Amino acid sequence: MSYAGVTPTARSRAMVRESRHLLFTVAPGATWIIIFLVLPSAYLMGVAFMTNGPYGLPEMPLSLESFRRLAGFGFLGWSPGNLYTLLRSLWQTLVSTGLVVIVAYPIAYYISTCRAKWRPIMLLLVVVPSWTNQVIRTFGWMNLLAPGTPLSGLAESLGLIAPNMGLYPSNFAVTLGLVYNFLPFMVLPLYAAFEKLDTAQVEAAQDLYASPVRAFWHAVFPQTLPGLLAGIVLVAIPAFGMYVIPELLGGGKGMMLGNLVANQFSGGANWPLGAAGAILMLIATFIGLYAMRRIGKRLGGGEEVVI
Amino acid sequence: MTINKTALALSVGAALLAGSVQAQENKLYLFNWTEYMDPEIIEAFEEKYDVEVVQNYFNSLPEMLSKLQAGGVSQYDIIVPSNYYVPRLIETGLVQKLDKAKLPNFANVMEQFQDPVFDPGAEYTAPYQWGTTGVVYNTETFPDAPKSWSLLFDPEVNPDHPFALMGDGQVSLGGACAYLGHGYDCTDPEGWKEAARLLIETKGRDTFSGFTDGTPALQQLARGVTHIGLSYNGDYLFFKDEDPESFETLDFMIPDEGAEMWVDSMMITSEAPNADMAHKFIDFILDAEVGAQLSNYNYYASPNAAAEPYLDEVLTVPPVQPSEDDMARLRFTPSLEGESLQIFQQLWSEVQSR
Amino acid sequence: MRKRTLKRGLTGFWWFTLAFLYLPLAVVMLFSFNASNSAARFTGFSLRWYERLLGNEEILSAFANSMVLAIVSSVIALGVGCLIGYGMYRHRHRKLGWLIVLIYLPIVLPDIVFGISEMAFFVQIHRLTGLFQPGLGTMIIAHVTFQIPFVALIVYSRFVGLDPTLFEAAKDLYATPAKRVIHFMLPTIKPALISAFFLSFTLSVDDFVISFFTAGPESATLPIYIWGAIKKGVSPEINAIATLMIGAVAIAAIISLMFSRRRQA
Repeated sequence: MSYAGVTPTARSRAMVRESRHLLFTVAPGATWIIIFLVLPSAYLMGVAFMTNGPYGLPEMPLSLESFRRLAGFGFLGWSPGNLYTLLRSLWQTLVSTGLVVIVAYPIAYYISTCRAKWRPIMLLLVVVPSWTNQVIRTFGWMNLLAPGTPLSGLAESLGLIAPNMGLYPSNFAVTLGLVYNFLPFMVLPLYAAFEKLDTAQVEAAQDLYASPVRAFWHAVFPQTLPGLLAGIVLVAIPAFGMYVIPELLGGGKGMMLGNLVANQFSGGANWPLGAAGAILMLIATFIGLYAMRRIGKRLGGGEEVVI
Repeated sequence: MTINKTALALSVGAALLAGSVQAQENKLYLFNWTEYMDPEIIEAFEEKYDVEVVQNYFNSLPEMLSKLQAGGVSQYDIIVPSNYYVPRLIETGLVQKLDKAKLPNFANVMEQFQDPVFDPGAEYTAPYQWGTTGVVYNTETFPDAPKSWSLLFDPEVNPDHPFALMGDGQVSLGGACAYLGHGYDCTDPEGWKEAARLLIETKGRDTFSGFTDGTPALQQLARGVTHIGLSYNGDYLFFKDEDPESFETLDFMIPDEGAEMWVDSMMITSEAPNADMAHKFIDFILDAEVGAQLSNYNYYASPNAAAEPYLDEVLTVPPVQPSEDDMARLRFTPSLEGESLQIFQQLWSEVQSR
Repeated sequence: MRKRTLKRGLTGFWWFTLAFLYLPLAVVMLFSFNASNSAARFTGFSLRWYERLLGNEEILSAFANSMVLAIVSSVIALGVGCLIGYGMYRHRHRKLGWLIVLIYLPIVLPDIVFGISEMAFFVQIHRLTGLFQPGLGTMIIAHVTFQIPFVALIVYSRFVGLDPTLFEAAKDLYATPAKRVIHFMLPTIKPALISAFFLSFTLSVDDFVISFFTAGPESATLPIYIWGAIKKGVSPEINAIATLMIGAVAIAAIISLMFSRRRQA
């Protein structure tokens, strides 16, 4: 659309009309998100800088006490509990994301090698379990891993767990639950990458490099990298803030940052501390997003990585 | 334009819908512990006053408090907290004084409950039930279980069977305090710290299966998921009656080092939508026969003196009525405020996160 | 030769992964028919847990809440999100970075932060004004908030996929904007609208954390009810409700498969 040759007033009128159109279409949704998400988040951040009242509710004056508490400093000197929780969250995120990649990569590749008419069905089979509610999926694992079940019996006879105990509750159960929960999030973007795979390049690499491993590394892997990165973002960010799975499968031993934050609100304990934890989670999320974008741009060369 | 109008109409419709779902005509909102009310009592009350009673449940007191703070204070009429949460509910302004003129049946209440320590003069509370928190364990696994907290806290007494502690930190910490010889109701920071260290150690044992609230702890025991847990005497009998087979090998025990005795009371929230009906409900529960019916259903001791003639036999013997020796060892869970509450919260969150 | 072993290994791994994905659901379904209360042993076939469900008014009302919440929030999100999606397309040459950030915000925000922000905010506003009493109303607001971005992005990508000259043609064909919307735009983006609605619906039914923190006393949804039941420790009945929900998902999966088949054909 060019306005060349139109008088300035007509042009500005057109621009006003365009702006009004923009306002009309975008304003309702944008306002909605601002009122019901940006403002609440801003309020929550404000809470983090308030003082904890005698019964857990935020009070004036402003203070940095909640961040001190988050770092582990309290009435009783420094204690490592919150640090443990943070490290556990990072560790669980790392391990489960790694495992998800290890499982999803071959699966996505396998699907892309199957006959075209089967592929949608195979993808659907991978995705369908995630359509059931998270609480139900996790409950399924509670059933499977409880003491006395065949899986627990097997682990017991292999000496992996103490007698009479189940595989749940444990940190292992939390990892398993996370992998289960996020597997489809990784398979889908990886599959999309494999489907677009430039086979000519792969064949050339097979001629060029003697070993299939090197051929894979130089020709296949870089092409799937954007999908992999997208998958990692989709898995790692929600895994880091997970609440349901550690709560149900961790049995008090597997507390993660999400539980620490939720406990400060649901136990009537300390809103400002919970809000400070939420800020920490946000920072981690945005660092993760930013890092992925940077790496993605450098490796994928362009706009491939869309979060 | 059309889209805008449709969207507008839809949002108005949604608002109306949301509003109509929440409209409270003649309803009474009761926020109570799980498995704690005879449905027949509710039916009788609904019939008598032509009102609909909506019941909501909580599993622990922290959960109840947070729901009240998150807006429940204007949505529930009656709550049923335990003694040690009463002072903090009063202090935070979440509850209102009872109008004794509307509670003629209050005279039925036993004398010691008419002036409880946690609410002098019973200005805010009317007693609902009272009971004890003890150790429930599997008698097949532990035929010679000691009458002691060591069953939970000493790895030599229970080297290899799964067990759970109470989800409410004050009860678990109290148990640890009692085991260490500081008494169940200890509040001095040094004793607490030692108890917290014991809890962290205990949590680190392979056989620790989690922090479980009282009612679910019984379900876990019945299903064999755990072999020792903490629960309430009445709930134990209630589920034993429901599932005698699973509970045959489970026993309830009050440790000799001391344990919890509690009183649950009915209170009216400060912004109760239907405070008048709430008074009628409390008075209804305080009626001699209804009070007995409630205890007979719940297997908990009744604080209602007038109800005594109507009580079942089982309610007059242990574990509902603890033996005199046990009775002397039972303590209220201390009600915390100010700095001691903060210290407790920090210790407990440390225990949870380790 | 080596290729064939690789393929065979992958096939094996595929079936193993499928077992991993479906085992927990299968166990839930199996034990919903268990005659006894045991979570570890299957002692015989029985429908007793389903019978218990039937008379349970709480579950029925939780189901009704889930449905009202999902439908109302999806409809609102569809209207609002559709407008944004179109606005983003029509003005895509302008600098709309702030809008993109705004739209991605609900997607990237961790659930727990989302839910707690809303709860703290609603509580505070309620204390000040008496508005936003926790209940279905607040839940609908929260759900719409996380649904809008998905609707907007789906609608936007549908518009981007269209031939731009179509819009010029439509301009010549229909005199008023209203007619263009009714006769051109809505019909062209109908598939996007349908899939956006279903996605919103699924997201809403699937959500637990955000609902949990914004719910009121009478607005428990099925996931909230199940969460409470798990916390309470009553296992077999949960198996029965869960089985019904898994069944609903399976039906949805078959329907979507048939749709995609037809589109291919």
